[in-house]
Order: sequence, then C-alpha cells, then structure tokens
Amino acid sequence: MASADSRQFGDLATQLVQESRRSTLTDTLLKYNDSLVRTVIREQRNLEELINNAIAAQADNAAFTGDAPALLLYQTAVLRNKRCLLAYHAHRLDRLKDMYWVLGAALPALLADGDLRARLSPHEVDFLREYNASVMDFRGDFSAELDVAASVTHPPRDLHALVRVVRDCGVIQTELGTIDFRKGQRFMVRRADIEHLIVQGYLEEV
Amino acid sequence: MAGLPSGPAVPVEPIALDFGAAAAPETLFQQLVRHWLNERHAPDILPIQAEVLSALLDHIRRQTDTVQALRGDPDSSEAEHARIMLVQTEVERVKFVVRSYIRTRLYKIEKFARHIVATPEVQERLSQAELDHARRFAQLTESHFKVSVLQALPPHQQRLDDNTPFTPPMISEPDKSRAVFVHARDECPPVRLPDGTTMQMQKGQIVLTPYAVVEQLLAMGNVELV
Repeated sequence: MASADSRQFGDLATQLVQESRRSTLTDTLLKYNDSLVRTVIREQRNLEELINNAIAAQADNAAFTGDAPALLLYQTAVLRNKRCLLAYHAHRLDRLKDMYWVLGAALPALLADGDLRARLSPHEVDFLREYNASVMDFRGDFSAELDVAASVTHPPRDLHALVRVVRDCGVIQTELGTIDFRKGQRFMVRRADIEHLIVQGYLEEV
Repeated sequence: MAGLPSGPAVPVEPIALDFGAAAAPETLFQQLVRHWLNERHAPDILPIQAEVLSALLDHIRRQTDTVQALRGDPDSSEAEHARIMLVQTEVERVKFVVRSYIRTRLYKIEKFARHIVATPEVQERLSQAELDHARRFAQLTESHFKVSVLQALPPHQQRLDDNTPFTPPMISEPDKSRAVFVHARDECPPVRLPDGTTMQMQKGQIVLTPYAVVEQLLAMGNVELV
C-alpha cells in the first residue's frame, strides 16, 4: 500500500501527535481531527491484513522465511500507530480536564461555549459529563466545610473584593443575604461567596 | 486559629479558639502544611492524612458557625467584629491549604488511576472517596479510549496493557527516581544510595536525592520535602 505514494507507515500517526504538540505549544484545543483518526485506523486494518497474509504465506511453505523482516516492520508500525492514537486522545482529555478545573468545575459554563463545543468529539462531551458526575460525588464529601473546586492558584489575601457585574447572573446567596447581580452594578462582597462567578466571567474585580 | 508560620511578631492577642497554645508540638495546621508540601513535591501518592484533615475540617466548621452566630448578634462589640474579620481571614487561608492538598492528591490520583486500580498497596494510601474516584476515572478513560479508538481496531490490537520493549508501559506509574530536595527534621538513620554507598543526614541538613532513597524516611516523618 505504501508503494503508491511516498508515504511511510506511521506518517499519519505522527501528524496526530504533532497536532497534540501544537495544541500544547499554543495552549489551545484544536478541533477533533476525526478524518485523520479514521485514516490511521484504516491504516491499522491494512497492516493487519498484510500481517495475516505474511503469516499465511509462511504457513503454506514451512521452508519460506522471507517475510519475517516484513512482519517485524508491520508489527512495529501497528504498535506505534496505536500508541499515537491513544496519546492523541489522552492529550485531549488532559486539556479538557484542565479547562474544566480552570472554570471551577462548572461543566455547564464549559459546555455553553459553542466555539469549544464545536471542537469536541461527541465521545469527549460524554466523557466530560461522566467525569463531572464523578467529581461532584467527590466534592460532595467536603460540602459542609469547603468547596474543593474553588481556585487553588492564588492564596486568599483579602476577605472582601470589590466587583463589577459584567453579565447578569441573577440572585446569588451570599453571607450578607441574597444579592441580585445586574450588569453594570458594583458590590463589595465576600470573596469566597462569588469567586466562582469571577472565574466564569460574570463578575470582574475592580 | 493559630498556626500559620509566625512572621515578624505581630502584637495581636492570641485569638480565642486556637489549638491549646502549646509552643513545642506542631499544631494541626502546621502538620497539614508539612504534609501538603510533601505531597506537592513527591512524585508518588503519599498516605492520606485522614486524622489531621478531619480534625481541621471539624475545626473549620465550628469556627464558621461561631463566626456566623457572632455576626448575627447585635450585641457584638466593635473589637469583636475586628476579631471576627481576623478569624474569617484565617479560616479562608486554612481552607486554601486544605483545598490545595486535596487537589494535589486528586491530580496524582487521576494521573495514575489505572496504576492505582491494579495495585492494592497504593489503594491503602487513599481515602474511600479518593479510591472511588480513581476507580471511576480509570474506568472512564478506558471506555473513552475504547469507543474512540480501540473498538475500530482489529480484535487483538484492542488491549490497553501491551508490554512492548523500547516503549513506555501503557499504565503510567510514579517516577520514584525523580530528584527531590529533602530537609531532615531529626537525626536520620542511614539510607542506602543507588550507587551502594550510605548516607546519614544530620538534623537540619538539606540534600538533593532520588525520591526512592528517602521514601522510608518520609513515611516515618524523619524528613520533609522542601
């Protein structure tokens, strides 16, 4: 199969891995490359066929061992392609998890981003939903004392923060009672009460 | 809540509600900070500090309740309100460390989920909630790989535990040979280095060594990672 063009086994899988690398370097999640994944999987099936043919040729004639090096080559390509495929998917899951935690484990806020949604495969959306369910379960264990999903990047300095409302976010329970946050208003509120709203882009610190 | 590493002496009366102001032994919070730093520096998952954690969580809850009650009380004096602010700030800072500790563990647990599921010895170091999450996460990633890739491959290419020479294993394990900075809290018993020589750390000494060398010392609490 590789004779028609100058492509080698594994070239396509390398492209997949390069996409992952580009994604890391530019700190973006690229669109799920469905067609490339399918092409690599097709290559895997072709290789499987080549392997089976080679084995059959050997079985037909016990004295003939000419295909052993070819077998080794096919097998190496098969293993490498498979690892590249898995690495590509694992890398995407890692990125998705990062994005999920940056938003304070708020799945609806993550999935509401249509731009991001368009870059995911349907299986990835499923993964996020189930992952979210598992995290919620874990988070529930601490709900009486603290929210494990809140930010861990900056230790708290002040108890209160002056915030400006960027997007309407409705009525929120705070320590001082309920507040109806409307666009354009400013409030002095307890940081712990509204940190998730800053993270999700409803409020902005002044 | 007393217990943050005291910086320059601030002339503030010890806030009520602290852990019996004994100077010598570590306070709960100091213990947690030590375990938190250990956890953040160690490549492997360390045993969960369930007792310290639950004692602190209890404390946070009681403290928060007290603060709520005092705030709501119209008779609270100005000085009391100032103290409430301090207590609240302190509670927020303790929560931060607790949260970071839990999240650090969660990160490692997800990273090594499939290794954890396969290794009972590691499972003992996890809390029940962590173990449940590890199991669910391992299962979740495996099924994601399955539906996205593996089920489209020929049957004997579908395994997730290939063991091929010259390629990294498919189940990631903690790299215990990673270098860590170690600070001796006490006089330590001698440990054997990878080259066969032994090393004995004096109290207060700081060394850079592979994690595996000091794993036992860390478990016994003789050293801390810095």
